Amino acid sequence: MKQVININFQGRVVPIETTAFEILKNYTDSLNRYFVNEEGKEEIINDIESRIGELFQERIKKGATCITDDDVNAIINSIGRPEDFEPMDDAQAGTSTGAASSANTQQQESANTYNSSGHKRLYRDENNKVLGGVCAGLANYFNVDIIVVRIIFVILFFSFGFGLLPYLIMWIAVPSTATKQIGGIRKKLFRDVDDKKIAGVCSGIGNYFGINSWIPRILFLLPFLSFLSHWGHWSGFWDFGDVVRFTFSPTSLIIYIILWIVIPEALTTSEKLEMKGEKVDIDSIKNSVVEEMKGVGKKAEKMGKEASAIISEKAKVVAGDVQNFSRRTSGGLGDFIATMAKIFAYFIIGCVCLALVGLLIAIIAFSFKIYPLKDYILNGSWQNAYAWGTLFFFITVPVIGIIIWLIRRLTKSNTNSKILRLTFISLWIIGWASVVCLAASLNEDFSRKSNLPEESVYLNNAQLNKLILTTSVPFEKIHTRYRWSSFDSFEDFINEDTMYLQNVNIDFIKSPDSSYHVSMLKAARGYSTENANKLASKILYNINQTDSLLVFDKGIAVNKTDKIRNQNVYITVYVPLGKQIRVNSSFNRKLYYNGHFLSIGFDDRDFRDDYYNNENSRWQTDVDYLMKEDGLYTIDGRKANGYSDRERKKNSKSYNSNDDGENYRYNEFDKKADSLRNIEETKRQFKIDSIEKVKEKLDSLKDKLENNTTSKLNVQPEFISAVVMPGFDILQNIN
Amino acid sequence: MNIDNTASQMRKGVLEFCILSVIQQGEAYPSDIIDKMKAANFNLLEGTLYPLLTRLKNAEFLTYRWVESNSGPPRKYFSLTEKGAAFYKELDATWNELANAVKAVTETNNTFNNNFNNNP
Repeated sequence: MKQVININFQGRVVPIETTAFEILKNYTDSLNRYFVNEEGKEEIINDIESRIGELFQERIKKGATCITDDDVNAIINSIGRPEDFEPMDDAQAGTSTGAASSANTQQQESANTYNSSGHKRLYRDENNKVLGGVCAGLANYFNVDIIVVRIIFVILFFSFGFGLLPYLIMWIAVPSTATKQIGGIRKKLFRDVDDKKIAGVCSGIGNYFGINSWIPRILFLLPFLSFLSHWGHWSGFWDFGDVVRFTFSPTSLIIYIILWIVIPEALTTSEKLEMKGEKVDIDSIKNSVVEEMKGVGKKAEKMGKEASAIISEKAKVVAGDVQNFSRRTSGGLGDFIATMAKIFAYFIIGCVCLALVGLLIAIIAFSFKIYPLKDYILNGSWQNAYAWGTLFFFITVPVIGIIIWLIRRLTKSNTNSKILRLTFISLWIIGWASVVCLAASLNEDFSRKSNLPEESVYLNNAQLNKLILTTSVPFEKIHTRYRWSSFDSFEDFINEDTMYLQNVNIDFIKSPDSSYHVSMLKAARGYSTENANKLASKILYNINQTDSLLVFDKGIAVNKTDKIRNQNVYITVYVPLGKQIRVNSSFNRKLYYNGHFLSIGFDDRDFRDDYYNNENSRWQTDVDYLMKEDGLYTIDGRKANGYSDRERKKNSKSYNSNDDGENYRYNEFDKKADSLRNIEETKRQFKIDSIEKVKEKLDSLKDKLENNTTSKLNVQPEFISAVVMPGFDILQNIN
Repeated sequence: MNIDNTASQMRKGVLEFCILSVIQQGEAYPSDIIDKMKAANFNLLEGTLYPLLTRLKNAEFLTYRWVESNSGPPRKYFSLTEKGAAFYKELDATWNELANAVKAVTETNNTFNNNFNNNP
């Protein structure tokens, strides 16, 4: 007894059995899938459908009351199933796989070339499978021996434990070759009572995934073997331990019981066929999800009503008397688990991809951020071209490529991307070429060192007890930004066309006599020694003494014509025995004992022979040091030792400063330096103003003179000097 | 390499030629083509034929017209275009050349085998 429905097929009403209709529907679906990349897909399918319609009409004319399963099957056989179609493309030629036994070659070939557009596609190979056919499918795809792939997976599983996860992901996500066996019924999850040990859950699962029922059985039994119960804690490599441990924990008992409740028994023959019917694949999962979504509302309602009934029936459940209840929940659970796993896998893959794109975008942002430095480094149009090439082709192109690839993956774009790929690869090769050229050309420009002699700095009062080193401008702003994540710190050092390098190296040596001395060595690099010397001698770096303060410039000014060529200033302060030295915190934030401040460039330490051996370079800002026979000591008598000096000072609170760990605060010495600077500034402004006034006067005099020359031919020189003198007087007063 | 694969490659090569040949004899309905091929002992599935016809039509070798049918939906009757006729001619020449060549080659082979078998 079968139900008959009327369908509108190609404009005719056709009475058809429901089961026959299912077969027909699956068949047309399979055609749709087969011709998905075909140009005239609609037309072909339409032609085939109208042929089927014609054949239906023939049967009905002959007197059949309706179309039966047999009719549909006969028609399908005469037209042929997609797997019987002869491929029309040349893609098939020469794809014989060396991997598998010859008996399976034909099938594997059809698996590989199933896509009629000729792309090789990854399938799970159901014919050569042990578990899910993932390894066999991969072997086919990459044309290697299955054994090799299996060994790799087994090694990965036992050595790192992460062979399992990709395997499961691929099992779920990669379609099976059995997708092509179309016309079957979608597989459903049932408990297999014919092959049961307890309730047939494991054998049902085995049937569903097409594996031996002992595999799920062992997975369920594992946690009961006590020696394995702590497997998850064996070592640190179970980073995703929660996922793994979940399988190997007593929860499996609970899972078993839940499955027992939820999964219906396969009782009728058709149910048993359904149980072993179609293999799991993406389409069936998709279908089940769609159906699931439709039924969610109803199910939720039903669940609310029956929740109490479920609890009361649980006792009976264990007795195996639950099919009345559990049958209502149909076979969606397996699909649901599979879908969840798939979502999880895609989630992880998505996170990784997003992180990758984020990183690359950050690289681009950084590249643009340091762009202002370009003019200070690059010399000539070629280097500029290389730099642009590097920025766009080497960095930007792969980012765009990856983004496009991701989008194409997500939208499952099937169009041929060969041209796109080639374009990106060739652009990237241009990028590589730019990088190499840029590096080579810059290397050339930095290849020679300068060899200027050390010069001494004049101190107007060398006979002090204490010398304090400070800078002309305290850079508070810079300090707060001194983190790797904020790239804009460079901007603080750049004026219109001048950049201030902070490559100042300070170090302290015992003075040969009883007075302080300061010497300065200017160093730079260039394409030749002469060039390097020229650049080094162009360095304008001033050190001025005001009482006990030694005021340093804020940096080495470099302009766009001279370029950054690792200009460095090496200052040596000679400290007399028994006298003190102190470096102000305004000097420096990124303080290492060798006394760099923010340095752009690299340290040419070998300018100085004694550099490495000089222990006196181990100093810290805001600490008073005393020069002794064998180097610097802190006031409380310990040897200078970089960072620990500061710690000690902080603990002992011996020095009255507002230093609370952040050493960039304005302290007294800075204030003093700044006030001095301010006074100087006002004096200078006053001078400039007075000179302006003199100039104005002179101008007006000049005008008068010119007017006068027309009337009075003789001008007395005394007259002019008398008028001009007051201006000079002002200047002299200022000085 | 196995026999099925090689055989299917061979068939594939001549399939278009055979179909064009049938249509060239006069306007044809797809199932007529199948029948004629079957009669010549050349088994062809309709599922293979339809896509092929569509491709040939898209390549402008074939054209079709709708003919009302009393047993179902209207039918498509295919005929050759001028371009298709020229294409067919070329294929025909190629086929004759090939057939002769294959025949010549296989015959020498047979003679060789016979000679080989006769002289142990």
